[in-house]
Amino acid sequence: MFQYVLKRLLIFIPTIVVVSLVAFSLSKLAPGDPVELLMKGQNNDQGQKASTQAYERVAERLGLDLPVFYVGLSSQASPDTLYKIVKKSDRETLDKLIQQYGNWPKISQYYKTLQQLEVAMYQVADDSSNYEAKRTIKRNVKDLYLRYKDGAISNLLQGIETATKSDSSLLPLVALSSNLSQKYSAVKNEATPNQLLIPSLKWYGSNNQYHRWISNFLVGDFGFSYLDSRPVSHKMWDALRWTLIINFVSILLAYLIAIPIGVSTAVKKDSTYDRVTTTILFLLYSLPTFWIGTILIVFFTTSEYSPLLDWFPTGGVQSLEHVNSSFFTRMLDIGHHLILPIFCVTYGSFAFISRQMRGGMLNVVKQDYIRTAKAKGLSENTIIWKHAFRNSLFPIITLFAYIFPAAIAGSVTIEVIYSIPGMGKLIIDSIFARDWPVVYTILMFAAILTMIGNLVADMLYAVADPRVSYNK
Amino acid sequence: MFFGKKRVKQIEEHISQQTELDQSYWANVSRQFNKNRLAVWSLRIFYVILFIALFADFIANERPIACKIDNTVSFPVFNQYGVALGISSWEDKFVTKRWDEHNYDWVIYPPIPYSATSQDKYNRNYASPFEKQRDKTGTKKWWNYHWLGTDEIGRDVMAGMVYGTRVAVLVGIIAMSIALIIGILIGSLAGYFGDTRLKMSLIRLILNPIAFFLGIFYGFTSRSYALSDGDSSEYLTSIAIFIGCLIIANILASILKHLGPLGRQITLPMDILVMRAIEVINSIPGLLLILSVVAIIERSSVIWVMVIIGLISWTGIARFIRAELLRVRSLEYIEAAQAMGFSERRIIFRHAIPNALTPVLITIAFGIASAILTEAFLSFLGIGVAAEDVTWGSLLNLARSKFQAWWLAIFPGFAIFITVTIFNLIGEGLTDALDPKLKQ
Repeated sequence: MFQYVLKRLLIFIPTIVVVSLVAFSLSKLAPGDPVELLMKGQNNDQGQKASTQAYERVAERLGLDLPVFYVGLSSQASPDTLYKIVKKSDRETLDKLIQQYGNWPKISQYYKTLQQLEVAMYQVADDSSNYEAKRTIKRNVKDLYLRYKDGAISNLLQGIETATKSDSSLLPLVALSSNLSQKYSAVKNEATPNQLLIPSLKWYGSNNQYHRWISNFLVGDFGFSYLDSRPVSHKMWDALRWTLIINFVSILLAYLIAIPIGVSTAVKKDSTYDRVTTTILFLLYSLPTFWIGTILIVFFTTSEYSPLLDWFPTGGVQSLEHVNSSFFTRMLDIGHHLILPIFCVTYGSFAFISRQMRGGMLNVVKQDYIRTAKAKGLSENTIIWKHAFRNSLFPIITLFAYIFPAAIAGSVTIEVIYSIPGMGKLIIDSIFARDWPVVYTILMFAAILTMIGNLVADMLYAVADPRVSYNK
Repeated sequence: MFFGKKRVKQIEEHISQQTELDQSYWANVSRQFNKNRLAVWSLRIFYVILFIALFADFIANERPIACKIDNTVSFPVFNQYGVALGISSWEDKFVTKRWDEHNYDWVIYPPIPYSATSQDKYNRNYASPFEKQRDKTGTKKWWNYHWLGTDEIGRDVMAGMVYGTRVAVLVGIIAMSIALIIGILIGSLAGYFGDTRLKMSLIRLILNPIAFFLGIFYGFTSRSYALSDGDSSEYLTSIAIFIGCLIIANILASILKHLGPLGRQITLPMDILVMRAIEVINSIPGLLLILSVVAIIERSSVIWVMVIIGLISWTGIARFIRAELLRVRSLEYIEAAQAMGFSERRIIFRHAIPNALTPVLITIAFGIASAILTEAFLSFLGIGVAAEDVTWGSLLNLARSKFQAWWLAIFPGFAIFITVTIFNLIGEGLTDALDPKLKQ
């Protein structure tokens, strides 16, 4: 047994590596810039230099100034230090340019000249005569950082050159702007597309973003949310409470109702009662939770259809007026809010467990020892509850272990429909907001819980049924 | 004479019955399946759903099936296919005017004269099926009435449901086809070769990973500029380059393996590798993975959802195929085929897999149900569907923003429920029919 558990634990390692790689690469492939997301609240009018510095500070704090991974597969044409250009949009534009022309030295010169032009432009004092021209230059320079197509760049460069000549105060920019155009034509004319066809494997060592994230994760530091800079663990803990409450109550209810129903249908196999119950259970099992959830919230939470049907609050977990009430009224209020969600989570698993229970019981009832017990003249109740029931519990026990990982993901629907601030809603909101630290922490936890659940299920199986043995 | 004839007939019947009874495996299975009334009815409903999905354009369309304007007869619905294929184009009058604004001499509309996206400007803001609906001339007639109501911008719910059927069927078919292809390939590798029987020359073992990385480099990394703005044909080119790299490597390996040490045979423990990989994939929370993958795709489309569902749901099929092949592998006819010197490939694909495929039908039925449910759930959350796509899930989602519109809460959800249920029932029917323990 010990050896078996050890073997299973060893499988955890590749799984965690795979899941973390998937989560991490998703976050890297995702569009959008986390730094900009974090800086959204701050005002951007501090001037060009200050805002660049602020950007770099945030990027450094997030570790985004490091190489992404241990190794990188790219072409000979792209430099191994491209990651040092911190700004994501710049890096992407430069990358696109490299893929078109393949000569990094020239592209790098073009980029530096563009930066010089930008700095020089901010040094020119504003006055009424150059206002229009300066605005054009500013806009075009900003655009150049994002453009990589030949036509667009040429147009923008043309625009800058004409604008710099339109006013005498912009004279210092004339040289720079024609320099920029030259640098760009150098990029085009001295392109080395052959370099793009030579693969090169680059080694970055362990000081990279993935290494930093995963080693922090393993010691329990999950990072900070991009949205509100709160620690991910705090956000998760707040959310976990609600999910646990809902799932605990619903699992308890499901087992309490499902087991007697499963047993009784199995005992009265092929009776009308069995057929009707089995059909109803099947229908319940097939009813999509998000449909039933929607129907219940549409019909029973407002007085839209009849004032008599306004039974429950429309989502949320607490009413505003009860937040500061006594403990008892608060609990009542929360319970009132949670009845519909708990019902929705319960009915599906309830149907599933009953079906499993019925199947397990049917298997046991067929066994010889049950016939023996009947022959001995034992009463029906003793046979069912003392002899059959205990042995038919195995599939139900193992189910129990699967429920915990399912609880994290499974409550997505209900929490979204009823706006409950639990794990499911947290992950959906984080995915929509591209709040990757939260998303990949939850993904990792769900994977780890799934593995632990599977392991516990298998072990419980061996404990409950002595015939199952893992000692091979 | 008369008695004799009857007797002959009886004997004939008896013989025909006998031959029917010891007919093939498939006849047996279908006989068992037909005993399950629910499953048979589910199959019939499935045919109806398939019909709606196939002929959605003729059932719900704002374009007439046939019409006559200015003495010319045209068939806009058929023309629509021509335009989609690029062999035909719309006449000017059809482009400049809405379809319901023409002065037709006569016109034959489809049963539902609305497309999923056509907006009825007279019935915006959730027109109820039970209330008076307006038309440009007054009250709506029966033939263009919104029988299941409309949504906020005046789209017909029934038309949306018809096109939603098409999406659901497509999701089921495409996702399961992808899962089936991967599952059969990987499962049969594991099941047929086991841990000891896959032998490979050293050079092939070395060249394949190298070719894999080169394929990724030439197919995707160095082409990423073309891929970023290109259409789907660019992706196909990339995949072709990738596969080409692998083929070249294997041809090279076939030549090089005759060179002494490079040809050393190495045993690959296929079964262990595949089973561990499946274990790893099954530990990844599927729904959360789909959610986060679909959410980062910029040009969202239902196609992506189908592909991703397919890519993660092959493990069940692979396990089934593996278990069956482990059983089939030791059967005598496979030994006979090996003794006759057939190639491994031929034995696997022509002899072993067809016999292992039947139980996979069960997985497919349940798989389709769960793929449809997953897609409906994603579009319900508003993830992975483009704004103009109408699916059952996205229709149901509309109900959340307007509680008054009960028809948006009831009908699309009912369609999801029915479809998922019939596939579950078909799956159960197949399980019963294929289970040898219950065979009579």
